[in-house]
Amino acid sequence: MTSTWISPTGDEGIYQIDTGKWRTFRPVINRDRCTNCKLCGYYCPVSSIKLSNQQQVHIDLSYCKGCAICATECPRGAIDMVREGEE
Amino acid sequence: MNLQEVFYGAEDLISPGLSACPGCAGELTMRTVMKIMGKNTILGVPPGCMAGAGVVGWNRLSGAKVPITIPLLDNTASMLAGIRRYYQSQGRNDVRVVAFAGDGATADAGFQALSGAAERGENIIYICYDNEGYMNTGFQRSGTSSKGSNTSTTPVGAMRKGKAQHKKDLPLLLAMHNAAYVATVSPAYVQDFVRKIEKAKEVTCGLAYIHVLSPCPTGWWFDPKDTIKLARLAVQTNFFPLYEYEDGRFYQTVSVKQAKPVQEFVSRLGKFKHLDQEAIADLQQWTDRRANLLQRLCAESPA
Repeated sequence: MTSTWISPTGDEGIYQIDTGKWRTFRPVINRDRCTNCKLCGYYCPVSSIKLSNQQQVHIDLSYCKGCAICATECPRGAIDMVREGEE
Repeated sequence: MNLQEVFYGAEDLISPGLSACPGCAGELTMRTVMKIMGKNTILGVPPGCMAGAGVVGWNRLSGAKVPITIPLLDNTASMLAGIRRYYQSQGRNDVRVVAFAGDGATADAGFQALSGAAERGENIIYICYDNEGYMNTGFQRSGTSSKGSNTSTTPVGAMRKGKAQHKKDLPLLLAMHNAAYVATVSPAYVQDFVRKIEKAKEVTCGLAYIHVLSPCPTGWWFDPKDTIKLARLAVQTNFFPLYEYEDGRFYQTVSVKQAKPVQEFVSRLGKFKHLDQEAIADLQQWTDRRANLLQRLCAESPA
C-alpha cells in the first residue's frame, strides 16, 4: 500500500482504516442555502470538511463517518443527510 | 492563528481513518490540538479510547505523523517529563511534549504521576479528554463519572441507582498544585478552545493542564449528531464551567449570564435516564455549589 502520508516510524505510511464505509447517511451541502461561513469544519471530528481552491467548503467523503454533527451545527440548515444509495 | 487557519489551513497530523466512534468529541479534540501544536511535537497517548482507535501503533502501524508513544496507564506524566528533560538537556527547548490522556489515565490510575509532575513543575502539556469513564473497555466507572451515571460497574437495578459519588474536580486539583497553566475547554466553544491551547503551547516553565469535557455518544447513549450541542449545553448549564488559572488567579473565560437548569443537559443522556427528581436536584445542587465556588475564586483574583 502506498500512501502520501509520511510517518516517522515506517515506510508504508500510517495506520488508517476505511471509515468511509461506516456511513449510513452522507452529508450533502445545499449550495442555495450555504453562506460559506465555514462553521461546519470547526466541528467535524474527522476533519472531512475542506476548502476548495475557490475557498468554498466541500465535504470529502473518503473518511466521513456520517455522524451528522455538521448538519446539526449548520446555522442555516444547509447540510442535508441523505441515505447512502439514494440520490 | 485564526480559526480558518487552524481548521482549514493547518495540516492534520493524525491518521484520517481512526476507529473512534462516529461523533467522537475526543477525536475532534485530538485533531484540533495537533493542528495547533504542529509537527515539532512528541505525543504520549496512554491506553484509552484514542490509543485504541489506532493513533498509537507499533512499527509501521502508528496513526500519527509525529513521534508517538504509549506510556502505561499510570506513568504518562512521568514518562513524558523524562522525554522533555532529555530534549532540554540537548538544548532543544522547541520540542513540545504533549500528553493526550483520557480521564481514567488522568484522574485515577495516572494521578500520582501527574500530581508529581505538576508539583515538580515539569514543562509538559497535559491534555485530558474527560468522557466520564473508561469508555475504551465498555464504560466502567471512573473518578470523574458524574453521580448517578449508569455504568457497567455501577449498573442500575433494585439495589443501586448508578454511581453513588460525585465527580472528582480535576482542573481545580491541578490549579491547587500551582501548575503554570490550567484551563477547562469545550469543543463547542471553538474560539476559546483555540486560544487556550495556544496559550498552553507557549508555557515555558511548569506544567500546562487542559481539561476537555468530551461527550461520548456510545457511553452516554445519545445520538452522535448531538455531541457539540451537548458540549455546549454542559457549559450553559454550568455543569462544566469554562475558566483558566494562571499566576495564582482564576478567570472565567465564558460567562454564563442565566444558567439553564441542569435537567436540560441530564435529560438528554441515556446514562441518566433512570434519575428521579431528587437525584437531579442533587446534581443541580452540586453544580450550583461549584459554580459558586468558582465565582468566588474568580472574584478574589485581582484583575
